[in-house]
Amino acid sequence: MSAAARTVTPPAPRPAAARPGSAPKRRRRWHRLVIPLGLVATLITTTLVAQALDRPDADDPGYLSPVEAGEHGGSRLAEALTRRGGTVARETDVRAALLTARTGAPTTLFVPAPDLLRSETLSRLSRLPAGTRVVLVDPSVRVLHAAGLPVEQHGRRWATKVVGPQANGRPCPLDELRPVRRAAAQRQRYTSDTEIPLDLCFSAGLARLPGTVDTVLVGADDPFRNDRIGEHDNQALATALLGVHTRVVWLDLEGPEPPPPTPSSRPPVTDSSTEGPGSETTPADGTAQGRPSRPGDSSDDRRPADSDDGPAPNPLWGAFPLWFWAMLVQLALALLLAALWRARRLGPPAPEPLPVAVRSAETALGRARLYQRAGARGPAGRTLRTAALARLLPWLNLPAETPRDRVATAVAARTGGEPEQVEELLYGDDPATDQELLDLARSLDALTRAAAESPPEQTHGVTPTRTEPTEGEPR
Amino acid sequence: MTWRAALLLAAGALTLPLWPSPFVGVLVMTGGVLLLVLVDRLCAVPPAALTAEREGDRTVRLGGTATVALRLGNTSGRTLRAQVRDAWVPSAGASPDVPPQRIVTVAPDDTLVLPTRLTPTRRGDRPALTLTVRSYGPLRLAFRQRSGRPATPPWTLRVLPRFDSRRHLPEKLARLRIIDGTQVTRGRGQGTEFDTLREYVVGDDVRSIDWRASARQADVLVRTWRPERDRRLVCVLDTGRTSAVRVGDEPRLDTAIDAALLLTALAVRAGDRVDLLAADTAVRATMTGSGRPALLTRVVHALAPLQPALVETNFELIASEILRRQRQRSLVVLFTALEAGALGEGLLPVLPRLAARHRVVIAAVHDPVLTAMTTGTPARPGDAYAAAAGWRALAERDRVRTALTRHGVTVVDAPAGALAPRLADTYLRLKAQAQL
Repeated sequence: MSAAARTVTPPAPRPAAARPGSAPKRRRRWHRLVIPLGLVATLITTTLVAQALDRPDADDPGYLSPVEAGEHGGSRLAEALTRRGGTVARETDVRAALLTARTGAPTTLFVPAPDLLRSETLSRLSRLPAGTRVVLVDPSVRVLHAAGLPVEQHGRRWATKVVGPQANGRPCPLDELRPVRRAAAQRQRYTSDTEIPLDLCFSAGLARLPGTVDTVLVGADDPFRNDRIGEHDNQALATALLGVHTRVVWLDLEGPEPPPPTPSSRPPVTDSSTEGPGSETTPADGTAQGRPSRPGDSSDDRRPADSDDGPAPNPLWGAFPLWFWAMLVQLALALLLAALWRARRLGPPAPEPLPVAVRSAETALGRARLYQRAGARGPAGRTLRTAALARLLPWLNLPAETPRDRVATAVAARTGGEPEQVEELLYGDDPATDQELLDLARSLDALTRAAAESPPEQTHGVTPTRTEPTEGEPR
Repeated sequence: MTWRAALLLAAGALTLPLWPSPFVGVLVMTGGVLLLVLVDRLCAVPPAALTAEREGDRTVRLGGTATVALRLGNTSGRTLRAQVRDAWVPSAGASPDVPPQRIVTVAPDDTLVLPTRLTPTRRGDRPALTLTVRSYGPLRLAFRQRSGRPATPPWTLRVLPRFDSRRHLPEKLARLRIIDGTQVTRGRGQGTEFDTLREYVVGDDVRSIDWRASARQADVLVRTWRPERDRRLVCVLDTGRTSAVRVGDEPRLDTAIDAALLLTALAVRAGDRVDLLAADTAVRATMTGSGRPALLTRVVHALAPLQPALVETNFELIASEILRRQRQRSLVVLFTALEAGALGEGLLPVLPRLAARHRVVIAAVHDPVLTAMTTGTPARPGDAYAAAAGWRALAERDRVRTALTRHGVTVVDAPAGALAPRLADTYLRLKAQAQL
């Protein structure tokens, strides 16, 4: 509970305490910078990833479908169109949709996912009867090229912006959009790539291409989606755009358009015709004339009764009595109190600089391991022999420059062995394997032990002591 | 707040089904508990109204137990209920008589004595670090605790070296008395300093007859000699990296300190002056022995806080310090290790200057591991390599010893347990031969 400062410096006047005290301070300062920045970076990353995941894709099931009541569906738009007195014809087949659009009065062809269409189909959109309105939602560059639209994409926003209908300071030339004040329409912006003037609205987020077929590009799908249609004037924009004709053909594709079943029946259509809106429409093939449009399919089958009320409350809330939730809250508060109690420690930990400790014979043991790893049997064997000789010669009262054979003879006489063997042992070749080295070390050890234990054969008065004035035992 | 507040709130949560409006109940109970906590906290004795002092032992020998008491005074008009934690460094081995979890009670204007028993595990200065007092309210629902209130009374317990070689002291003192001549066992005449004249008895060396004095007296008088007094002994401890090596279960430095203490005790009894110098890259401790009675105590206190450092010893610094301090000829005992790298490059270049002015003894501690490596019968190929490396290290050591001996330096090289008596023997021999 006490809000006292936590930074406790040990008041004991120890000079050694100053050095460990400065290191945590620097570390804490480093933390002070990294933790908030890292937190912000994590938040930004999480937001971007969540936004990218949450944004619907054109090939999601039920995306902008007139019968889909989910938040990415278009059931509310279809319902609004029906309420205005129009008819919505849902078509899941491209050929049927084109056929329906060609027959009868001028229609509005609404293509929510033009990226699913094949290039041939897109080029055929420009040959619809004059007066037909085609609404494409967020077409990609491929679609724009394939449909032969003289439009270029010009900047894309991360999120849709709510804007007014004017573009580049000029009012919107589309008469039916006059009641729309502000709508979420600016995401992908368009500009003309030729000198043909475009009708741009909503800060270039909506473009109409003049021609016999009235093509309208909308850069954002927000005005049509169930979850956003209620915001601002989105619904007014969508219904005004689609409701210029009473009949709306809604192309609701469930996946990419399949290739035509008989490729030889129709010559391939060249995509290079940039004069799409102005070209003459080809006569419709009469074979699919009898296919009925299905207006009853529009919106009444799968739509829930109350899609306007938002998500239903979690049924978990009603499953328990109210006091249960209150008890949970109070127990959480009690836990919080307990955490606050445990959070205050009874004094800081007691630091102490540790004494330095070096293991004994560290260098000698390390050198032994180095010898072994390098396989230095020759140097190791020579060292052992030199050491054995250095011990044997004083015992035998021989000077250091004694010839080999005399040394071998003297040692053999002392220990009772063969002089040749002793000479081979003391002056032989370097060991070639580890086993030979081990044998050599053992034999030298046994030899020096035997020489030390057997009595000297000549009783000189000179005892084998060192000549230098050294106190203590030599080793 | 304490666990009691949390428990109170949790117990109150069980009554929630009886409340007409549960969430209002949550608000009421939480507010009530917080209010109680606040009132309890206000009733607690503020930590600033407490006083803390210490009393007790300042020094303890390693292995012994010291008692340091904390006197906690309550100057406020309320009764203090508090947990008291008196933190020492871990190596001080502190065990408070009142554990810090227990809540003690101090009446108004009263003082509580909280003793702490300290059994240090290491030599050197062991400080008290932090005093923390957690003052509880009467309901013990809340407490007050402020770091630095009351201020920690500083206290440092100096842990003195154990001085295990103390047991050799009587024997060495007896030999010193023989040399000194105070105990007639083997005769006198060892020293060079004139002592007294006495009557000739059969068996005296006729060369020591003082004819001039005999002419003045009826008897034949002989001169007696005694060893020199007021010689100077300088103990130099190398606290560099070689002193950090653990020989047996203690660092080389501790063995050196033990031997230096025995030497000092002996030299004080023999009437010599003892100076002290400990250095690695800088001088760590110095002491000049003037006050004779308390000299050993002062040496012990000077040596107690020494700690080995992982640095290469600057023998140039050591030599210049000795030459600057000691104008007279003195016996310089250098406690270090016979290591080719450290001594060959550091000491040998400066040794001629030092040996020209002073008598130098180098005391070094054996490594028993090295002996075990070279004397055991090899059982595996690794043992053979280890024996080769061990012999090579020993050969290097012998080379260093030979090089040192060439400069007239006496080398005392002994296992850890035997260094102190051997060094004392060397000192006594040098004293008997009047070579100081």
